[in-house]
Amino acid sequence: MSEAAAAATAYKSSWLNKLDWFVTGDHKKIGIMYLWFAIVMAIVGGGFAGVIRAQLTKPDSGLVTPEFYNQMVSMHATLMIFFVIIPAWTGLGNYFVPLLIGARDMAFPRLNAFAFWLAVPATALMFGSFFVVGGAIQTGWTAYPPLSLAAFSAGPGVDMWLMGIIFIGLSSILGAINFIVTVANLRAPGLRWFKMPLFVWAWFINATLILVATPVLSSALAMLLADRVFGTSFLTVAKGGDPLLYQHLFWFYSHPAVYIMVLPGFGVISHVLASFAEKKIFGYKGMVFAIMLIGIIGYMVWAHHMFVAGIPPSLQIFFSYMSMVIAVPTGIKIFSWLATIWGGSIRFTTPMKFGLGFIFLFVIGGMSGILLANVPVDYQVTDTYFVVAHFHYVLVGGSIMSMFAGMYYWFPKMSGRFLSEKLGTWVFWLFFVGMNVTFFPMHIMGIQGMARRVFTYRPEFQSLNELSSAGYLLMLAAGLIFVFDVLKTAFFKKGTLPADPWQINHVQNTLDWKVSSPPPEYNFLKIPTIE
Amino acid sequence: MKTKSIFLFLGLAALFLSGCSGGHPGDITNWLQNPATPLAHEVRHSFYFTLYLILPFLFIAEGLLIYVILRFRKKPGREPAKFHDNPKLEIAWTIAPAITLVFVAVSTYGLIGRINYSPESDMQVEVTAQRFLWKYHYPEYGITISEQPLVVPEDKVITLLGTSVDVIHSWWVPAFGIKRDLLPGRIVETWFKAVKGNYKGQCAELCGPLHAEMLIDVSVVSQEEFEQWVKQKLAEKNAPADSTNNLQTSGSAETK
Ligand SMILES: [Cu+2]
Ligand SMILES: [Cu+2]
Repeated sequence: MSEAAAAATAYKSSWLNKLDWFVTGDHKKIGIMYLWFAIVMAIVGGGFAGVIRAQLTKPDSGLVTPEFYNQMVSMHATLMIFFVIIPAWTGLGNYFVPLLIGARDMAFPRLNAFAFWLAVPATALMFGSFFVVGGAIQTGWTAYPPLSLAAFSAGPGVDMWLMGIIFIGLSSILGAINFIVTVANLRAPGLRWFKMPLFVWAWFINATLILVATPVLSSALAMLLADRVFGTSFLTVAKGGDPLLYQHLFWFYSHPAVYIMVLPGFGVISHVLASFAEKKIFGYKGMVFAIMLIGIIGYMVWAHHMFVAGIPPSLQIFFSYMSMVIAVPTGIKIFSWLATIWGGSIRFTTPMKFGLGFIFLFVIGGMSGILLANVPVDYQVTDTYFVVAHFHYVLVGGSIMSMFAGMYYWFPKMSGRFLSEKLGTWVFWLFFVGMNVTFFPMHIMGIQGMARRVFTYRPEFQSLNELSSAGYLLMLAAGLIFVFDVLKTAFFKKGTLPADPWQINHVQNTLDWKVSSPPPEYNFLKIPTIE
Repeated sequence: MKTKSIFLFLGLAALFLSGCSGGHPGDITNWLQNPATPLAHEVRHSFYFTLYLILPFLFIAEGLLIYVILRFRKKPGREPAKFHDNPKLEIAWTIAPAITLVFVAVSTYGLIGRINYSPESDMQVEVTAQRFLWKYHYPEYGITISEQPLVVPEDKVITLLGTSVDVIHSWWVPAFGIKRDLLPGRIVETWFKAVKGNYKGQCAELCGPLHAEMLIDVSVVSQEEFEQWVKQKLAEKNAPADSTNNLQTSGSAETK
């Protein structure tokens, strides 16, 4: 070994090298940091959900104050959306988009690092807001004015929340630019657009959604902040402002945000199902166009969140019909996935279990979505637990299930070790059953008339709420086992795996399974050519 | 086994659905079981119409999924199929949901109009929301009440003109088939025509700490009972010694 090589090896194992994580622009390290960040935030956000479920075990339980309850409701949503799901997809995207397109890194490594580290001030603002006068935000994550204006939400808590979301939004925007430029410019020679793996397609379209939508949210939040801090009157009624303006801008972001949270999952599921059914993905082009269509129509449905808020009936009809239209490309995806596994040789690995579970749950979420697109039915069930059930089937059944699938699928690639299949089976079944026990009864509560965002309810809803809280315990157990397994495998197991540890690349033929596990620095000694 | 748990889950789901008991007499809260207005009946009908149209798709998708799981497990000696497209099939599963959704969409069109545009009004009530109570003003009688049930005659078109003095609230009585956000600085209109009974509802837009306790009670009574009630309220109004009459002050005193 030459002297320089020896020095390099010594440096690699020294503590100084660990500091590299703080200054790295390596897409794989940044991806892994995003994932750790999301896991830590999921523990906190899941804990907040536990407070909610504990309070609702019986009516008027008095476990927490109404103020604290509203803080939990607001922060559970905020953390799960902006600090868990979106960063987790950014993490997997960071790691695997460059690998899958045969690039050595993202287009802008330093911008990438900057976007990640913006999460630090954002997180500090979120948690700091619990300790200021007036406490954390209590308005729900929607922060509708006038409730979120200074007159009704005094104290710096809301200001800190607004700044935090603006920071994390900036992080998303910078990340999105990076993804778009990377996919457009750094594809390996021969990797034409319609040869790109579906995870890359999903992330590319996702990045365009983020780039168009997030600045709109940031401007709505900036108006709110200006009204609160500088006394402007964008949204303040008494001075001629309009609170409905905020709702339009907010949902112009927040409906597409649902797709931002689930499109990368569509990509993951396509890889996982094809891999473990040992078949090529069915209807590749149809899948790509379906994602594009979902992305485009996703911009024309935002006011379905506002049917009772006071928009003209003609507009309600337009937004209702567009919301139904979006079910068509979603249906194409579901049936294409079913056709993908049809006739295959299915191996029930943990990622495959999560992939199949995803289809089961996501279909239910889609169906309740069609009921909600029916305007008169929406009048009844909007702002009730029916809506809570619907979006948890989409976000837990859709986003989180596909994220589990992606984590189990790619963990061996990222770490060189498999997560335990045995524990994985436990995680899947506890989570799948727990998810249904928690959220299915909420459909019924909502239909029967239980409003959402309430710390107490009529006695007749008690048994369903008890069931729902019991389901939470199952999901909690699943989460804890998963975190335990990840920690154990990441820190206490040693070794590396071959390039294709799942033995799937004869079907997939993607670049992620052609480099070592974990991949070497800069991924490819020689940029691969795709024929 | 996967299949067993799925059946267990479906069984449980059926159990929930059959086990739902509605409100008890005189205390109606459930629009699906006890619709109290023609509109609520129509909304219920629209709910089931949509549900029955989309349920086949749910069962087809979940059924195929379960079938694939049972049928296509990896076995030695069986090769996976090789197909990866089928244009006819793809066209079919694009068109079939689209046609179904046209039915859903068209079926809601008229009802949206009937809910939003009231027929000729028999009586107006002005609703003012304020954290965390409701005030009702009857302009024809000069009566204002708050923190009391709204009392209206049965079988009459009641138009509600609603606004808020502070944040956004939402007036929602499930059995009437309506929910409307009340915004400060705007007056919104909605209407109902209900049968006799006592109905419960509540504020449906998060408005602060006690949002969950911003409850609504409505008594729909016969015309004679209503006239009786009006007389009584007017008498209370003209007897200033009574402490319950001046509702504006009593309301604000209680919220302190
Ligand atoms: Cu939406
Ligand atoms: Cu209210």
